[in-house]
Amino acid sequence: MVDVSQHELVPDHSVLDEDTLEEVLEEYDIDRTDLPKIKRNDSALPDEAEIGDVIKIVRNSRTTDQAVVYRLVVE
Amino acid sequence: MTNVEYAVDDDTIAVVEDTDLPRRLKDNVYETLEGRDGVTVEDADELAKAVEARYLDTRVDPLDPVGTVSAQSIGEPGTQLTMNTFHYAGVAEIDVTQGLPRLIELVDARKTPDTPMMTVYLEDEYATERERAHEVVWKIEATKILALGDVSTNVADMRVQISLNRDTLEERMITPEEVAEIIEDNLGVSTVQQGTEIQFGPEEPSYRDLLQLVEELRDITFKGIEEVSRVVIRREEMDDGDEQFVLYTEGSAFGDVLEIEGVDASRTTCNNIHEIHRNLGIEAAREAIIEETNNTLAEQGLDDVNVRHLMLVADMMTNRGEIESIGRHGISGSKDSVLARAAFEVTVNHLLNAAIHGEIDSLQGVTENVIVGKPIKLGTGDVDLRMGSTSPGGSGGQAD
Repeated sequence: MVDVSQHELVPDHSVLDEDTLEEVLEEYDIDRTDLPKIKRNDSALPDEAEIGDVIKIVRNSRTTDQAVVYRLVVE
Repeated sequence: MTNVEYAVDDDTIAVVEDTDLPRRLKDNVYETLEGRDGVTVEDADELAKAVEARYLDTRVDPLDPVGTVSAQSIGEPGTQLTMNTFHYAGVAEIDVTQGLPRLIELVDARKTPDTPMMTVYLEDEYATERERAHEVVWKIEATKILALGDVSTNVADMRVQISLNRDTLEERMITPEEVAEIIEDNLGVSTVQQGTEIQFGPEEPSYRDLLQLVEELRDITFKGIEEVSRVVIRREEMDDGDEQFVLYTEGSAFGDVLEIEGVDASRTTCNNIHEIHRNLGIEAAREAIIEETNNTLAEQGLDDVNVRHLMLVADMMTNRGEIESIGRHGISGSKDSVLARAAFEVTVNHLLNAAIHGEIDSLQGVTENVIVGKPIKLGTGDVDLRMGSTSPGGSGGQAD
């Protein structure tokens, strides 16, 4: 099986712990369901991720050095 | 202290790092400073402050309608794109849909592009030796019977005769035995194989069945991937100056190709955003949408469209964890407001369904407020101003 995370199109995915998540949600003043979503069967999802988890994605941004975004695991 | 690769002194670094600029702009500032002689720390500070002021000034204001601005910024150059499905023989003589048709295909999130293709990078010795690169080509390109030898029908004996070409077989690394076996598996006939000659025929003598067999024989893929009809091999210079063999394919089967030995699974891409989504996930799909739309515009000399607009489009299309099209069947069709949906396309259906289900429109969006004649909740439309001050003691500012 091919290691998807090695592909240059795939940014770094990691599961966010609850404490950091609280800070993030507070900073943006949103609920976790307001976050963009990622499907549970997504190829790039870390193995340990479960529905309801929030994934931290560190993109190599075109406009700044690195951009951090979050996606909620659904379905 | 942050590490800076540029030849500037520590004080300069301190003043630049002190600003609110993103990494890339800071690097640009260093680059400029490096290229100039006799820059004092004061000069550097002034320059950094000026860049920072300009940067803060050009950021998007709160309540700015970024979507509308993006739509216009992509729409206007879009009028200059070629309208016909112009096949452009650019890279390695492979036809690729360009211009407006390609852009429409992308934002409509079509299941398969008009002209699917892949760019396959190779690793290690496969990338540097032509022989090894060709091995990969034969594993990808679909090999049909006509590429392997001649087919003739002997009507008198009701037999199909294949005479294989030994050189081609060797080159494509397939034996006559394998060919015979594939024919038996696919057509359900028993074959007689002798050297490079293979014979078979219908069970009952029937002229129609014989022709039918020949038809089916031509469609069998003996080696390679069925979807890929052609592979072009090209020697290209990489960013680091090395030369590598790169394969361009007509037709795509991204998942299958990634598994093939010798294929560099970290750089190989295709132009089908759904295949990328399936194999690499939603984030890679977002990346691919930006890349593809940007390239389509750049190809036509319209690369001055700010990439942020394309990023916004890609963000919207991938927001729900799967690729959604822009338009009635995708994002516009899933808006909360009935009036906004009705204003877009198929007005009557939306209004009728909303009436049947007793939908309520909370008038939050732009379209619905324009329809009912209220100020839209954007820019100054979403800000309430009050006269005077409400603070006790009247020490607040005077209304004017």
